[in-house]
Amino acid sequence: MNVKEYIESGILEAYVLGTLSENECAEVAANVAQYPELAAEVIAIEDSLLHLAKEDAKAPPSFMKDKIWDALSDEEEEVVVEQPVQASKQVPLPQEPAKPSWQRAAIWAAVLVSVVTNFMLLSQRNESREQRDVLAARVDSIAAQQQQLVATLNTYKKEKDMLADPGMQTIIMRNEADAAPAGMVYWSKEKGDAYLALHKLPMPPKGKQYQLWVIQDGNPVDMGVIDNDMVQKEGMMMKIAANIKSGQAFAISIEKEGGNPTPTQVYMVGAI
Amino acid sequence: MAASITYTEQELISLLKQKSKQGFDYLYENYSAALFSIISRIISDEQTAQDVLQEVFVKVWKGIDKYDSAKGRLYTWMLNLARNTSIDKLRSKGEIMKGKIQNDEATVYDNSNLKTEQEINTIGLRDTVAGLEPQYQVIVELAYFKGFTLDEISKTIDVPLGTVKTRMRKAITMLRTHYKN
Repeated sequence: MNVKEYIESGILEAYVLGTLSENECAEVAANVAQYPELAAEVIAIEDSLLHLAKEDAKAPPSFMKDKIWDALSDEEEEVVVEQPVQASKQVPLPQEPAKPSWQRAAIWAAVLVSVVTNFMLLSQRNESREQRDVLAARVDSIAAQQQQLVATLNTYKKEKDMLADPGMQTIIMRNEADAAPAGMVYWSKEKGDAYLALHKLPMPPKGKQYQLWVIQDGNPVDMGVIDNDMVQKEGMMMKIAANIKSGQAFAISIEKEGGNPTPTQVYMVGAI
Repeated sequence: MAASITYTEQELISLLKQKSKQGFDYLYENYSAALFSIISRIISDEQTAQDVLQEVFVKVWKGIDKYDSAKGRLYTWMLNLARNTSIDKLRSKGEIMKGKIQNDEATVYDNSNLKTEQEINTIGLRDTVAGLEPQYQVIVELAYFKGFTLDEISKTIDVPLGTVKTRMRKAITMLRTHYKN
């Protein structure tokens, strides 16, 4: 590099006057560090500006000295007072336009900790909520199961009472086709209560339903149709709604949906 | 009083690092006028200039640990601090930017360049270097006291970049000659 030309170009003046871009500045600074002649020239240029400033010196008003010293002392006090423990006290108000960078760092750290903590608490709370919802759902399902169990238990109790009743008769109904036992009726003549239990009854053809009859004095009396739902629940007992005080036989026939006034296709019969 | 003592730059720096009152007294006695002068050149409002002076002292006080003597002298560092703080203050008030925009537009109209120079002449280096011709004064003024970049100066006064630099060189050389005498 031609140092003399470099100096003559005025780049050093542009540098000292602060008119260069960051990149240019770095470039000149590197050259200045490398060549002592350039460094000397820079100092000479700076000196001329220092002279200019000094010659033109304009003393600030006398009160400024104490005012500035107070400001500096305040800065110092802040530094002394500002222990980490008390950081939270210092956080709320942005007082001075310029705070020490570590103090800012402390504030940011406090803010960050607070944000992170809040976030953690929030997510914990959400998590607990979810857990609570899961537990609530579980409790609900347990309660439902319990209700079912109670219902089943009551049914069994009734069946037990019914079976324990000495006046209860058992009527076995047999399939008309092969005489195999296909259903039972428990009947208490005195009380008129009757219960029906079905065993492995096939589902009726589509559009058909089973219908229960009691034969009184040679005539079939309608006891109502049997729900297909009931047919599926093998072994379940169904209380017969009507009060039956007399009869010679129970029978089940296959009828059209909703039932017929008289049986058309008898499926099973059990004599009393 | 501090006035009777003379500290070297190194001594002053270590006093400042200790945050000593002596250090402050010395700094204030010897540098406040020069700093205030440069601030006042950039900022015309007296109250704002005083605020900036205080800000500069606070920056020196707090930044002394970061000051690197290898990168320049303390005085230069402080003057640049004063200059940059002042220019930042002006910028934050939008004054300089307004001026720049106007000047960019003004390059279209020849006569407004003249106006810029005239304005600057009245507030520039008139007391100090009477001999400095307006074409040099304006460059020092825009660069040092208004924070314009080389490119902006070139556009503002409608002179090529290279010429701006050589005029800078000439202006500073004149100042140097002046102070040698």
